[in-house]
Amino acid sequence: MEELIEKLKGELIAELNLEEIKPADIDAEAPLFGDGGLGLDSIDALEIILILERNYGIKIDNPAQGKEIFYSVKTLAEYITAHQK
Amino acid sequence: MNIYITADSIVTPLGFNSQENIAALCSYHSAVMEHKTSTVADAPITASIFVDHKIRLQSKTMDIESQYTKFERLVIMAITDVLDQTHIDIADNSVGIVIATAKGNIDLLDYTAESMDGRITIWKSGDRIAKYFKAANRPIVVSNACISGLSAMIVGKRLIEAGVYSNVIVAGCDVLSHFITSGFKSFKSLSSKRCVPFDASRDGLNLGEAAGAVILSTDNTDNSILLAGGAISNDANHISGPSRTGYELNLAIRGAMDEACVKKSDISFVDMHGTATAYNDEMESKAVTLAELQDKPVQSLKPYFGHTLGASGLIEAIVCMHELRIGTLFGTMGFQKLGVPMPIKVSPTHKTMKMRSCVKTASGFGGCNAAVVLSLPEHAKKSRPEPQNITMRSICTISVVDAHVKRGNKTIFSSKDTEFNVFIREAFKKLGDENMTFYKMDNLCKLGYVTAGYLLRDFKYEPEEIGIIMSNAAGSLDTDIEHQRNIGENGDAMASPAVFVYTLPNVVIGEICIRYQIKGENTFFISEGHDSEKVSKYVQMAVSEANLHYCIVGWCELLGTRYRSSFSLLENMNYVK
Repeated sequence: MEELIEKLKGELIAELNLEEIKPADIDAEAPLFGDGGLGLDSIDALEIILILERNYGIKIDNPAQGKEIFYSVKTLAEYITAHQK
Repeated sequence: MNIYITADSIVTPLGFNSQENIAALCSYHSAVMEHKTSTVADAPITASIFVDHKIRLQSKTMDIESQYTKFERLVIMAITDVLDQTHIDIADNSVGIVIATAKGNIDLLDYTAESMDGRITIWKSGDRIAKYFKAANRPIVVSNACISGLSAMIVGKRLIEAGVYSNVIVAGCDVLSHFITSGFKSFKSLSSKRCVPFDASRDGLNLGEAAGAVILSTDNTDNSILLAGGAISNDANHISGPSRTGYELNLAIRGAMDEACVKKSDISFVDMHGTATAYNDEMESKAVTLAELQDKPVQSLKPYFGHTLGASGLIEAIVCMHELRIGTLFGTMGFQKLGVPMPIKVSPTHKTMKMRSCVKTASGFGGCNAAVVLSLPEHAKKSRPEPQNITMRSICTISVVDAHVKRGNKTIFSSKDTEFNVFIREAFKKLGDENMTFYKMDNLCKLGYVTAGYLLRDFKYEPEEIGIIMSNAAGSLDTDIEHQRNIGENGDAMASPAVFVYTLPNVVIGEICIRYQIKGENTFFISEGHDSEKVSKYVQMAVSEANLHYCIVGWCELLGTRYRSSFSLLENMNYVK
């Protein structure tokens, strides 16, 4: 799990253009969206859906479903672990 | 001064003129259908797409030569149709042309080609269209995302009011391609069924192709409709997501109604953008309510035409004109159960009713909103004041070129590193701005954002009393190429929403509006050069009619390693709150 969390942090930084942020700056349990945390928005959510599709073969059809899955890096990692084939 | 719409044309898969289209709508015909295979998408798509051989046949009948692109042919068809309806001579110097498009000839973009097909640059395509007609004037091109069509009507109207032209031909068009469909798909905005605006079951929009044209004139001929008012606002909230409150679209509606001097009781119906995406329709229901028009019938024409992007505002406004004339309000086909937060009045079926005036709205990426008021001439308000001549003074000019930021002629920041990415980052940091969104922007937006940052540093104003009017030559071509490369190599599914969202030039305005809370007029022109006298006249009229205290007027161009921006902050010396 730790390994996956670190990998995800790297992917988020690269894919979401989170320049100036290092993996160590991201608290795995802090909220990704909204004020505080990383302050990601709806376009970032769509990009995270693509990361899941392309890098992990996991499809999320309903973006609304993403709200809980995308809460933090940790929830993302847990979802990937549970759903990866 | 009253501006009338004296001729109109709608070109869609439902018909090659307004009559054919209106007849189709009267019988509930829709151009939206499922295409298992198409030339515009890898996967099945539910959209309104022209049958190619019909366009070829029509072009042949009209003798439009084969060197014209699909976009150009459709615009030529629509303009030919409106010219045939009037005695206006396009070769006369008093006749102007305004062309609205979100993406023009983007279907020609070949990211592998060594040199770019020049027609992708919209102003060049505009010149080709003007040349076809031997027009006296070069077209003015407006690229304001999905409000382009309404923007162009407002631009045309203001140019007549400013005395630049006596008559203006306003044309709008967009055609579909992998470029556009893949981007909307990556946004998860597309429905696989015919869209159902405002309905509880709605799950997205359908894309569509169309062209339209109108002639704006001060002459009130038979069957004219009055273009009584128009206004543009910005959400200053998000570049792709609509406002959470609808307040800013409500501002545009109120602005257009104020200019038209119409009251709530004069409005017969409201034709909204109504794309059938969850958030757009939600926002619109709030905006209509804030504008106190929630008791009026509301319609969306998207189930008939799909979302025809830069053409949508124009062709839908033309349908509104016909609805006013024939006394029929078209139903929002397929509507069953209201699924928006505010109780607005939507009906699936056509209704006969007494007509006076209507409001037509549009909203688009970059946070832009537009509204116009159309009236039957017999209901024109006599009390409408004439637009005032105003005096403007320049407070400050910031330009960015060759790794230098200049205030007037004085360099206020420079970088030893002339590489754009390094320079712009240093210039951004020097501003002391900690907005992380900067790093997500494409280079055109970074350039505009930083230029605006130096311009507006320590400057105070109210969000609604400041506007922003930009121009450039290449549009968003720099990012267009990146998006086309993403999908060109590995298919539509490789489209990135974070790239696609920047394939509209007016998104640079959107980014500036969000950061600096600018909610007034916002328009993006595509032109060969910076020094357009016509744009200056437009700025004057826009500032006067929208009663702006300040307006940023700028040039913001970036393509590959070349870039240049120059923004001026102007003050309206006649401003009264």
